[in-house]
Amino acid sequence: MPFGCWPTGVRAASRAVPRLDRRVVRSGPGGRRDWVAPALLAWALAAPGAIQAQSSLHPLVNGVLVTTGTDLTPGNGRLAEISLVQPMLGLHGTAAGGHLGFTATVDFEGLSTPNGELTLGGWGEGFIDRRHPHTYAHELVVAGLVGKRPGAGAWQLGIVGGKGFVPFGSDDPMSRPPLRYPVNHHWSQILERAMLAAQLRLYAAVLEASLFNGDEPEYPSQWPNWSRFGDSWAIRLLLEPAPWLELQGSLAKVHSPEHRPGAGLDQDKVSVSGRFDRPTATGNAYAMVEWAQTREADGFFRYQSWLAEGAIRTGRHRPYVRYERTERPEEERTVDPFRSLRPHLENSILGTSRWTIYTAGYRIAVTGPGSGAVVEAFAETSRGRIAKIGGGVFEVDSYYGEDAFWSLSVGIRIGIGLTGHRMGRYGVLASLAPSQHGLHQTEPRRGP
Amino acid sequence: MIRARRLVTSLLLAACGGTEPQTPLEIAIQSGDGQTAVSGERVAERYAVIVTKGGQPEPGVAVTWTVISGGGVVTPPASNTDGAGVARAVHTLGVLAGAQQVRASIGGAPQSSVRFTATARAVPEPVVVASIPIPPNYGIHDTFVRDGLAFVCAWNTGVMIFDVGNGISGGSPASPVLVSSVVPSAAPLGTLSAHNAWWFHNPVTGEKRYLFVGQEGPGTIGVSSSGDIKVIDVSDLVRPREVGSFHYEGGGTHNFWVDEARQVLYAAYYNVGVVAVDISGTLSGDISGRLIARSAPGGNGSTYMWGIMLAGGRLYANDMLSGFWQLSPTTLQPVAGGNNVPERFGSDLWVRGDYAYSGTWGAVPRNGAVGNALKIWRLSAAGAPVLADSLIVTGIETVSDVEVSDDGNLLVLSAERGIMAGLHVYRLTDPVKPALAGRIMVEAGLHTATLARIGGKLYAFAARNPRDPALIIYDLSGLR
Repeated sequence: MPFGCWPTGVRAASRAVPRLDRRVVRSGPGGRRDWVAPALLAWALAAPGAIQAQSSLHPLVNGVLVTTGTDLTPGNGRLAEISLVQPMLGLHGTAAGGHLGFTATVDFEGLSTPNGELTLGGWGEGFIDRRHPHTYAHELVVAGLVGKRPGAGAWQLGIVGGKGFVPFGSDDPMSRPPLRYPVNHHWSQILERAMLAAQLRLYAAVLEASLFNGDEPEYPSQWPNWSRFGDSWAIRLLLEPAPWLELQGSLAKVHSPEHRPGAGLDQDKVSVSGRFDRPTATGNAYAMVEWAQTREADGFFRYQSWLAEGAIRTGRHRPYVRYERTERPEEERTVDPFRSLRPHLENSILGTSRWTIYTAGYRIAVTGPGSGAVVEAFAETSRGRIAKIGGGVFEVDSYYGEDAFWSLSVGIRIGIGLTGHRMGRYGVLASLAPSQHGLHQTEPRRGP
Repeated sequence: MIRARRLVTSLLLAACGGTEPQTPLEIAIQSGDGQTAVSGERVAERYAVIVTKGGQPEPGVAVTWTVISGGGVVTPPASNTDGAGVARAVHTLGVLAGAQQVRASIGGAPQSSVRFTATARAVPEPVVVASIPIPPNYGIHDTFVRDGLAFVCAWNTGVMIFDVGNGISGGSPASPVLVSSVVPSAAPLGTLSAHNAWWFHNPVTGEKRYLFVGQEGPGTIGVSSSGDIKVIDVSDLVRPREVGSFHYEGGGTHNFWVDEARQVLYAAYYNVGVVAVDISGTLSGDISGRLIARSAPGGNGSTYMWGIMLAGGRLYANDMLSGFWQLSPTTLQPVAGGNNVPERFGSDLWVRGDYAYSGTWGAVPRNGAVGNALKIWRLSAAGAPVLADSLIVTGIETVSDVEVSDDGNLLVLSAERGIMAGLHVYRLTDPVKPALAGRIMVEAGLHTATLARIGGKLYAFAARNPRDPALIIYDLSGLR
């Protein structure tokens, strides 16, 4: 019996999810000017034929139509927008009797939100107060495994390579209950890198070590700077003391992430988090607490983040909350107040700000249990405050007009194959206990 | 003077059910039409319209101002008539030469409007004689030119030494030839970041041995900084080598000036203030013990020094936070000035004769003002600076470098951020009223511009910002 290269939770869900229908994919987004997204889509279409006969194959479709309003704008104005965020097509599965796995995710944010997504405190990759669009080739990862699957053996070895998430930090925010990305996205995750990782599982502990390129992408169609592969590294230790509890600690050394040629500052990163995810009588309960720190230039700059979030699913209903307290650099902006200067001219910043944000939201599943598609309506509100810490010429009040802000988002999420999917988990991690994969499940694993 | 009239054709009905037609409003040009100005600059006189009703001035009428040709800017976009029925606005011309028009209308209605026409006069452009790509390791920051050699500070690429007329490698301003390059060792925080340089000609020993290189490390502007001064032995220009360094704990260096006769290096040191370093004799190893004096003129927490300059035996410094200072050349203690530019952050400076010029920085506004001002200082007999005027350079947000030519005829500033970023050249016929003599826009902005006379011609060596950093050499000899 082949061991599970991909999560059994996904397999369970796949019974309710139709296999990839080429017609569906062909009717997807069109009219793109960039060649990358179509090329990736073609790859995704071609792949099933080669490996479908071997094992599992699961599509992933996601998109969120959302309208957001906030008073957090330069000059103390208000801003509202309607946008399609997180539009993705993906395919993941196994081959060679489960010894090989692959993940391909095409992200169309470069087309749907080329100017970024309005996000409180969002920053990075040249955007500020807006979340950057991800690259079209969001994940292109293959994995090989030997050993016994969890529950059937003491050890597993895995090797993972491709473009995707580096084994560092907590889950990607796209896989978590709140819609809005937290401010700490660039402190707590490292993504879209050319990465090679080795994995070792001993009982309920998984150790991962990876090499990757330090440079962040600068625009959606950009590929990693291959010449920089191996200039950065990360390790992550993950413990699963109980099926519903996951503890992780990560370290990373990232060379010049914000300057592609490599002349920028290095980052020393650490992340610690605990994740609780347990089925309940009517659904499941989820909580996550994390602390992350990034030090630049041997600690000359230091940014910390605390984050706690939780959600309870009861039938169709899922209320959730999040608290975040994160520091970020204030960089020189361009004439466009939502863009920061790239490439940098030097290594200075204008100051450091601390963002304290309380978020509450509510999701209700429109689709019933057993349906393959996820259709959720949601409303999410945040209230927060910005504080200047450590001096500098950046003044919160003079730039934003005030230091308190709010936002409200209302929208609908439509997806297929989201059940059990935790983005950025490959190889050994993808084969862990199903209870860790239930964040996006649309139906309880245990009925009342 | 009323130069044109147009009857308002739309009538407003009485608000309370009256059927009598309201007396129409009339709008007419009062003053400002027909001016000529340099393209990209503001016209000298504000545009003014007068609104009347039944022949009497009508106050409180909203007048909308709209650019209809030429691509300039009119501010404010709307203004109300005052008690005399007059509304005003300022027209900043677009960059193209020729006629440019602005419409003033009541309530935005074209049929109740008048047009102002201004003529934009073309500005001569400095001639680009060379453009040398610099590796994008952040690019190029400052250039020191002396004896036909250009020491290009190219951040992590180090210092690149070009022959631009020295003869050592047959180079010229139009065809620079790379002689050698040297990458300074990393500062304590790991940054190479060659930012600025000074080639020291020691009149006591007759040596031209040392090149001082400033490293600009990480910092939080206004609060903290890092970076050392490296000493490079360039007695063999083909094989320069690092021989020493200066470190001041808690701060980092920026621009230099060297009193060569006294063998003293003055360095602006951001939050540390200014330092004076003894550079006499042989320099080797750690020269931090050669510190002569240090001063933070604005006080701790209110000092972030950009640049320093010795002129006529007097020492001046421009601070980002606390303004323009005269300092004692021996103790570095304040002599005069200071706390005199509260509305903007300061940047570079230059002193010439009885006048000084200081720039302003605006990557983030201060009190709502960006760094589009050049401050003009009149120096007293004792050297004390008194603000004489401020030149506002439209379309920019940072004056990144300032220098006056060796003959005192031209003032050159480099500018960043904004549609008019680039090189601006002014005539100093009246030192208090610089007159635009030439200008060239560079979209990415110029970080610095250094003047040098080579073969009798005046050149500006300018640093173009990334994404395609380059040393651009302009011939300014045609600008008078």
